[in-house]
Amino acid sequence: MSTNPVSTGPLLEIENLEVGFRAGKDLLTAVDGASLTIYPGQTIAIVGESGSGKSTLAHAVIGLLPGNGQITGGAIKFEGTDISHANRSQIMALRGSSIGLVPQDPMSNLNPLWRVGTQIKEALVANGVATGSAADKRVVELLEEAGLPDAERRARQYPHEFSGGMRQRALIAMGLAARPKLLIADEPTSALDVTVQKQILDHLDTLTESLGVAVMLITHDLGLAAERADHLVVMYRGKIVESGPAREILQRPEHPYTKRLVAKAPSLTSQRLSSVAAARAEVREQAVQTAAEIAAEVAHSATVLGEGVDDILVVDNLTKVFTLRGARPWQKVDFAAVEDVSFRLRRGTTMAIVGESGSGKSTVARMVLDLLPPTAGRIEFDGHDLRDLKTKAERLKLRRQMQPVFQNPYASLDPLYSIYQSIEEPLRTHDVGTKKEREAKVRDLLDKVSLPTTVMGRYPGELSGGQRQRVAIARALALDPEVVICDEAVSALDVLVQAQILELLNDLQAELGLSYLFITHDLAVVRQIADDVLVMQDGKVVEAASVSQVFDNPSQDYTRRLLDAIPGASIQLGL
Amino acid sequence: MWWYVGKRLLQAIPVFLGATLILFILLKLRPGDPILNLAGNKPVSQEVRDALAAQYHLDDPLFVQWFQFVKSAITFDFGETFAGQPVFDLIKETFPVTVTLAVMALSIDAILGITLGTIAGLRRNGWFDSSMLVISLAMLAIPIFVLGFVMQLIFGVKLGWTSPTVGSDWTIGDLILPAIVLAIANFAYTIRLTRTSVAENLSADHVRTARAKGLSERMVVRRHVLRNSLVPVVTYIGINLGSLMAGAIITETIFNIPGVGNAAYTAIFKGETSTVVAIVTFMVMVYVLMSLLVDLVYAVLDPRIRYA
Amino acid sequence: MPDIRPGQERFVAPIDETPLRAIDAVNVDAVPENQWKEAWKRLRTSPLFWLATAILVVIALMIFFPSLFTSADPERASLDNSFGPASDGHPFGFTQQGADVWARTVHGARASVTIGLLTTILTALLGMITGAIAGYYGGLMDTLISRFSDIFFSIPLLLACIVVISVLNNTFPNRGFWGSVMVVVLALATFAWPQITRQMRGAVLEIKNLEFVDAATAIGASKMKNLRRHIVPNALAPVIVASTISLGVFIVAESSLSFLGLGLPSNVVSWGNDISAAQNQVRSGQNLDVMFVPAAALAFTVLGFILLGEAVREALDPKARKK
Repeated sequence: MSTNPVSTGPLLEIENLEVGFRAGKDLLTAVDGASLTIYPGQTIAIVGESGSGKSTLAHAVIGLLPGNGQITGGAIKFEGTDISHANRSQIMALRGSSIGLVPQDPMSNLNPLWRVGTQIKEALVANGVATGSAADKRVVELLEEAGLPDAERRARQYPHEFSGGMRQRALIAMGLAARPKLLIADEPTSALDVTVQKQILDHLDTLTESLGVAVMLITHDLGLAAERADHLVVMYRGKIVESGPAREILQRPEHPYTKRLVAKAPSLTSQRLSSVAAARAEVREQAVQTAAEIAAEVAHSATVLGEGVDDILVVDNLTKVFTLRGARPWQKVDFAAVEDVSFRLRRGTTMAIVGESGSGKSTVARMVLDLLPPTAGRIEFDGHDLRDLKTKAERLKLRRQMQPVFQNPYASLDPLYSIYQSIEEPLRTHDVGTKKEREAKVRDLLDKVSLPTTVMGRYPGELSGGQRQRVAIARALALDPEVVICDEAVSALDVLVQAQILELLNDLQAELGLSYLFITHDLAVVRQIADDVLVMQDGKVVEAASVSQVFDNPSQDYTRRLLDAIPGASIQLGL
Repeated sequence: MWWYVGKRLLQAIPVFLGATLILFILLKLRPGDPILNLAGNKPVSQEVRDALAAQYHLDDPLFVQWFQFVKSAITFDFGETFAGQPVFDLIKETFPVTVTLAVMALSIDAILGITLGTIAGLRRNGWFDSSMLVISLAMLAIPIFVLGFVMQLIFGVKLGWTSPTVGSDWTIGDLILPAIVLAIANFAYTIRLTRTSVAENLSADHVRTARAKGLSERMVVRRHVLRNSLVPVVTYIGINLGSLMAGAIITETIFNIPGVGNAAYTAIFKGETSTVVAIVTFMVMVYVLMSLLVDLVYAVLDPRIRYA
Repeated sequence: MPDIRPGQERFVAPIDETPLRAIDAVNVDAVPENQWKEAWKRLRTSPLFWLATAILVVIALMIFFPSLFTSADPERASLDNSFGPASDGHPFGFTQQGADVWARTVHGARASVTIGLLTTILTALLGMITGAIAGYYGGLMDTLISRFSDIFFSIPLLLACIVVISVLNNTFPNRGFWGSVMVVVLALATFAWPQITRQMRGAVLEIKNLEFVDAATAIGASKMKNLRRHIVPNALAPVIVASTISLGVFIVAESSLSFLGLGLPSNVVSWGNDISAAQNQVRSGQNLDVMFVPAAALAFTVLGFILLGEAVREALDPKARKK
C-alpha cells in the first residue's frame, strides 16, 4: 500500500524458483523459474488456471510441499534470508508467526474432531503468543475480529456446526492468530457463495490493512485479483508470463495468454457489454428463426411430443417440499426447497436461473427434467402437461426432447463407457437407426462439439474437464432435443475453457434452434448466454426480467447485492 | 448425544430379538423328541415329562415359546446341562477366565497393533512398512489353531517357558501365551487398518493447515494424525470382539483353559446341542452389548456422530 | 498509483519461451484404456499378483491332477505304518492310522478350496443382490434389508456356524462328501453375506447419485437398465476385492470348524480334519510332519487368496491410480 515508505526492503523475494514433483522416475516441473517480490503490508495476487503452479508456488514459500515435491532451484528470501532449503525447525519457527496460511477449502481444512476454539488456540500456544485462559480469551477476540458473531459460543463448537463462510472466517482467524507478516491466501473464497465471498474478502482487506500484514492472494479469477491487489502475477503452465501493476496489466495486457484471459474473464464483461449484447442478439435472432421452422414441423408430427407452441416450456406455481428429520427423532420438518416458481421459456431463447447454494435452482431443473416429482404446480412441455404423461411411451417422447448437461464433468460420464458408447447410449435406448447409422450420427455429433473422432475409443478418465463437458453436450444432442437444461454446466471449468463452452452453446443454439434453461450461481456468465433471467433466493423467485433489465436496472435489493459481488465489475478495461 | 444413545439402544432391540429368533429356530430344528433332548436322551417318567413340558412351555404355540426363550435369556435362565447343572452356573464358573483372556488379548492387539500400524503409516513404503505388510499377511494366513499349537509346542513343551496347558487353577501368567495367540489373529487387521488410516490422515488438508499454524511435527502427529486415525481403529477393535469370542473357543480348547469356550467345546463334543445354543446365546448377548458400547465410544471420539 | 518498487517492474515473458497451447487440446497419441484394462495392466506388473498366481496354480493342479504330486492312495491306511517315517514315495511319512501324509494333503485340497469357492460365490451373489436393492431402491426395502443383515451380522460367524452345524449334525448324520460340503457352505454363507451387502449398498448409494445416472434416466433408460448397465458395474470393484480376501477367511473358518469336530465328517479327506486329528497325536511328539504338512498347505492356500485380494485391491484402488 502506498502508506508504506518506499525505502523499506522487500518482505519476500522469490528468485528463479523451480519446484518439481517426483512421479516414479520422472521429475515433473510444476514451477519453472518464477520470480516475484512482496513488500511489507502489500497485497499481491497470483492468477492462473488449474495446473498453472500457483498453489505449488505458495506451498513452497511456507514449506508445505507434499512428500513428492521438492525445490530444485532458485531461492526464497524471507526478510533477506534464503529459506528455500531451511531445515524443519527453521521453517516451523516461521510458520504461523511470520508466514500465515488461509487455505482453499473451508470444508476439509478444519479438523472435525477438535473444537474450533481449540484449533485456534493451538496456533497461539505453538507460536508462544499466549497460553491457558489468556489464550482462550484471545481466541474469542480473534474470532470476533474475523467477523464471527457470538464468538464465545462459536469457539466451543465443532467445525460441522459451522457453515462454509463461518469456517472460512475461523480459518482467517487462525491464519492471523500469531500476527504473521505475510499471509498466504490460497483461493480463500472460491468454495463460497459470491455474496459471502465479497463479505469475507472485504473483511480480510480491512483486517490485513489495519494490521499491516502483507497478503499473497492466489486466485483463478482475474477480476477478483485486480480488485484486491495492486500488483499482479499471471502464471501459465508453471511460468510467470506477465507481472506488474494490476491496472496496467488489465488495461494493456501484452502477453498473448494475459490478453486471452482479460478478453474472456466473465467477471470483466461489463466493460465489453455492447459487443457481448450484440453477439447474443445475433445468436437469438437466428435461433428463434430456426426454432420456428422446427415448431412448424413438430405441430404435424406424431412421433414427438408437442404442439409447436411459442412457449416451449411453461412452469406454473412449482413447489417442492422435502420432509427432513427434525432435532428429535420423532420430529419431522417440512422444508420448501422450491416455492411457487413460475416462468416461461420461449422457443429458441435462453432462460437463466441464478441463485446461490440452497436457492432451489437445481431442484427446479430436476423437476423440469422429470427426475423429481413436484409437490405442487404444473410443468408444461410444448403444450403438454407433464402430469398427463402416464405411459412409458409418452415419457420416452418427452425424454427425447429435453436433455440435461450437468455440472461435474468428472461425474457426468460413466467411467466404464467409452466416449462412443456414452454418446451412442441415448440412440440405442430409443432404438434409433442401425449400428452403422448410429456410428455416423456419433461422428456427426463429435464434429458439432468440435472434438476429433479419434476420441471415440477413449474413456472419460483420459479427457480434460472441458472435453468431457463437450462429450456430455454431444450426448445431450444425440436425440435432437428441443430443450437443453444446463445445470451449472460451466461452473467447474477454467475461465478460458468456460468461455469456449459458452461459445459452443451459443453456436449450437443458433444452428439447431435450441432452447436453454441455464442454471448457474455465477451472474457474470449469464450475460454471455441468456436472454431472460430468473433470480432465486431460498426457493423463491426474487426477480424475473430480461438480461439487460437485470444488469442495468435491477429492481430488487438481493439482485443488486449479487451484481455488486461480481468481482472486478467496476474495473476499467482499456478495450 | 442422548438422542444418539437412545436411538442406538432402540436399534439394538430388534437386532437382539432377531438373533434370538434365529437361535431359537435352530434349536427347534433339532430332530427327535424335544423332551428327550432336554433330558439328554435318558428315559423319563410321565411326571418328569409333564413338568419339563410345562417348564419349557413345549405345548404352547411357537411364538410363545420364542417369547419364553427371550425372557429366559434376559433373566439368564439358560436351562440345564445333561448332567443337571444349570447352564448359567456353568457360565458363571467359566466366564471370569474367558473375560480375563479376552481383555488381555484385546490389550495386546490394541497396544501392539496401533503402535506398529502407526509407525508403518508414518513411514509409508519404508522397510518397516513393507516388513509389517509381509508379517501381517502371513499372520492372516495361518489358522489360529495351528498357531496356538505351534506356540504351545515351542514355548510350552520345547522351551518350557510356560506350562503348555492351563487347567482349573489358572493364573494370569498362564494366560499370557494363549492371549498372545488369540491376539495375533486380529492383530494383523489392526495393524493394516491403523496404517491405512494414519497414511490417509497424513495427507489430509487439515493436517497441512495444522502444520501451517506452526505446530511442531510431534504435535501435528499426535493431535491431528493419530487422534483422527484412532476413530475407525477403535470401532474395528470393538467389532473384533466377535472373532475374539470364536477364537476363545479354539484357544481355550488347545490350552485347556476352563473358560466359556472350553465349556462350549465340551458340549459340542458330547452332542449337547441345547447347552451349545445356550452358551452361544449368552455370547451373542455379550457381543450385542459390546457393540453398543463401542458405538457409544465412537460417539465420544467423533463429535459429528453425537449430533447426528 | 503507488510508485513501482524494485522487483515489481512490469514483466512480460518472451513469447517463444512460453508458447501458448491450444485451449483444451486432445492428446491423440495415447492408447485408449478403460478402467478394467488399466487395472489389468497394473495387475500384470505387480509381483504380489504373480506370487499369488503361482501359489494358486499349484493348488489348482493338486485338485485336478493329484497324481502329478503323489501316487499313494490317501484313504489306504495300515496300522503297520502308524507314524512311519518318511520313505521312498512317502516324503512325509505316515499318520497314526498309517495313511500317507503327503497323499492326504494333496487330496485334501479339493474339500477346502471347494468350500472356500462355493461360499464366496454364494456370499457374493447374495450380498450383491441384497446390497444393490437396498442401496438403489432405498426406503422400506433398504430398512428391511439393512435390519435383516444387522441381525445376521450380530452373531459372530464361527459361533453361528457352530450352532447351525451342531443342529444339522443331529438332523442329517451321514451326508457324504457333497452333502457335508454343502452344509458347511450354507452355514458360512448364511452368516457371512451381510458384510458384502453393506459394502455393495455403500457403493451403490455413492454411485446412484452421480450425474451420469441422472443423465441416463433423462435419456429414458429404465430403473432396472440403469442399475444393470451403470450402477452395478461401477460398484463391483470393492466387492471383488472383499470377496477374494474372504475366500481365504472361509477356508480358515472351515478348518476351524473341522478342528472343533463340526466341519466335514472325519471320513472326508480334508486339511482341517487332518490337522485336527494330528493335534492329539503330535502332542506325544512323534511325526511332526503329520500336522505341519497339511497346516502348511492350508496356510499357503489362504496366503495365495489373500495376496490375490491385495494385488487386486492395489490394481483397482482409485487412490493408487492417481499417483
